[in-house]
Amino acid sequence: MQPKKAPADPNAPKELGKPLAPTTQVTRVRFSRNGLRLAAACFDGKVRLWDVTGKEPAEQKPLGDHNGWVTDIAFGPGQLFSTDSWGRLSAWQFGGEEVKAHWTVEAAHDGWARAVAVNARALAVASCGKDGFVRLWDRGRGKKIHEFETKTDLLSVCFSDDGKSVFAGDLFGVVREFEVLSGKVTRTFEAKELHKLDRIQDVGGVKNIMLSGDGKTLFAAGAEPKTGGFVQCVPLIVAFDLATGKRLSQYKGANDNEGYVTDMAWHADGFVIFTTSGQPGQGKFHFWKPGAATAHFTGGKLPNCHSVALHPDGERIAVSATNANSSGNGRVKGMGGDYPENTSPIQMWTLPKV
Amino acid sequence: MPRDPLCTPSDHRVTRRRFLGSAAGAVGLSALANPLVAEELKKQRRQVLFVWLDGGMSQLESWDPKPNTPFGGPFRPIQTTVPGIQISELLPNCAKQMKHLAIVRSVSTQDNSHSAGVDRINRGDPKNRGVVYPFLGSAVAKLVGPGDSGLPPYIWVKPMSGGFIPKDAGFLGPKYGALALGDGKPPENLLRPKALTAEEDDERNDLRKLLDKNYAATRRAELTEANSHAYEMAAQLQKKISLFDTSKVLQKDQDRYGTHDLGRHMLLARRLLEAGVTFVKVTSYGWDTHGDHFNGAASLHPKFDKPFAAMIEDLADRGMLDNVLVIACAEFGRTPRINGHIGRDHWPEAWSVAMAGRGIKKGGVVAGKTNDKGTEVATDPVDIGGLFHTWFRALGIDPTDVQYGNAGQPLPIAHEDMKPVKEVLV
Repeated sequence: MQPKKAPADPNAPKELGKPLAPTTQVTRVRFSRNGLRLAAACFDGKVRLWDVTGKEPAEQKPLGDHNGWVTDIAFGPGQLFSTDSWGRLSAWQFGGEEVKAHWTVEAAHDGWARAVAVNARALAVASCGKDGFVRLWDRGRGKKIHEFETKTDLLSVCFSDDGKSVFAGDLFGVVREFEVLSGKVTRTFEAKELHKLDRIQDVGGVKNIMLSGDGKTLFAAGAEPKTGGFVQCVPLIVAFDLATGKRLSQYKGANDNEGYVTDMAWHADGFVIFTTSGQPGQGKFHFWKPGAATAHFTGGKLPNCHSVALHPDGERIAVSATNANSSGNGRVKGMGGDYPENTSPIQMWTLPKV
Repeated sequence: MPRDPLCTPSDHRVTRRRFLGSAAGAVGLSALANPLVAEELKKQRRQVLFVWLDGGMSQLESWDPKPNTPFGGPFRPIQTTVPGIQISELLPNCAKQMKHLAIVRSVSTQDNSHSAGVDRINRGDPKNRGVVYPFLGSAVAKLVGPGDSGLPPYIWVKPMSGGFIPKDAGFLGPKYGALALGDGKPPENLLRPKALTAEEDDERNDLRKLLDKNYAATRRAELTEANSHAYEMAAQLQKKISLFDTSKVLQKDQDRYGTHDLGRHMLLARRLLEAGVTFVKVTSYGWDTHGDHFNGAASLHPKFDKPFAAMIEDLADRGMLDNVLVIACAEFGRTPRINGHIGRDHWPEAWSVAMAGRGIKKGGVVAGKTNDKGTEVATDPVDIGGLFHTWFRALGIDPTDVQYGNAGQPLPIAHEDMKPVKEVLV
């Protein structure tokens, strides 16, 4: 007797078309604010763009010239900002179909610029780096407005809802809140279980931070690391109440094969969409309502998810992952006997109505 | 048959041990206390510092960066103090010491597993002759000897536990095994309990030796040799216990080397080298970065960079680089291809080894190269056998001339089909 096939979950997200296929790995995907474009920050120093207004996404001319990796991207009104691992911050301006280089700060950071954030109400763009600085830049000209020094490796940055504060998460599980006008640290939020000293290696950190849609909850995400070398870690998101600074709730994965929370997005229906890196060769995206003990949806089964972007319509997500069989000791050859670079397929999904 | 493992043409040469013996005989043992004689002996030391980055340090984030290439990773290259030589930005202090360093960028070895690779590299991967070859430390302990330090010739400073490690010696026998100092500390219960007088201790040792002799008469000699040697090493260490007194370590040096395991262990290694130990190995674990490699490298590499550069600087300042061969090595490098965990896997195909000091060309040298993407060695590949040739020659030992003797069986000290990297040798 054949076992009965489980009925399909009507609330499960559904794949939307074939995956986009950049020829390199991707660190971040984001939709533009008007929802017309999808952008991907890539290992080859380029930002790839797709027009997503048609039935099939149409790839556009990539934005180039970054050094090392493009580490993060953030869309502002009519603008895209990109950072790279050699410290550059670039602004790109959208005018209809055309995208123009707007301004560039070559040494926005000394080395690895980790993250960039924009707030619609603030006239500034914020960046943070391995050099320990949070820097605010004038969105129009790229002039430095403020800088805050932490003397620690900063991994993530975001603005408060009103644009008056900037939050930066570090390697050691601490999020600092800076008041934009005074430049002072007004508060710290600690989730130190996001860091581990494994032998001599500092592992983990606040890899992502984000505010809820109403701006009242701060989410700090990464993982509880077990070791350095293998990314054995249990994904962890800690929610803080911004009014009181107190910890509210947390999402914690089930085991240390699930990897880091690599990216997050806030859905207007009141839940967090996040990706986990997975180990080995696994990765998933999850939906979690703050306060719940577990995610209400987990899916994907994508090798090593790296980023998730939520379309402004709230009905689509794009998830970047990795090609299958990306790991291997020694010379793992491609079909043609070559030594291929890994890539990051980007799969779109439609979201269920909650 | 006598068990002397060396029977070589070099027996007819004036070795360091012979020199020491004849020097002591000529001038009288008391003359060793003479500062001038002691200084002369120091000058003639041949020593090795072997830094082992267990798991494999990425060549691309250290000695052989490939910026803005598909496998180059996120980091910048930086200029060293030697024009034309760039290394990764993660090694800024090493970049300042480049004038003392030699980098071989064309290392290509045979094994991509830790379990086999560690032994293979440490033993020099000779041809299979049905014997277990010694690790480099045991080989140097045998070929160079213990010198005038009054300390074991092969000391291994490592995290976690320590103890006597006879297996490193292979067929040379346990006498050439490593004394491992777990977390850089002396073995537990090293010192004679206060309740026991020196005379009582001597009596106990005499009794032990007698029992060992009786036990060994009917059994394999290696076991009792190992046991006896452990006691001898303990006796040697008892006399030099001040080496472990960290209260005398300058704060400035702690800052320069770092207070993490590798920094503290390198600083102890410097003291051991200053005390004249022939071969000091320092191991750091945790370099096997299959996942989140680049953040791992950002954390790990500076913790190698600072103490390694400080060591080179200190040995140079003390004039000890003329005596001490310094090597930074691992079982392999890491894959150019970046996997889905944003890690690099095991890569013996094309990686780098750095060295400095005795017998190594000064002024900053790079030997060999990889292709533009770092995926192939673009010049003659150098296997570990070639590096053993290089290191032995740097120590003044000619592997084409010197052989081990294993119960009458002559054995080459390095793979006889391989050659030294001449570009890095003086």
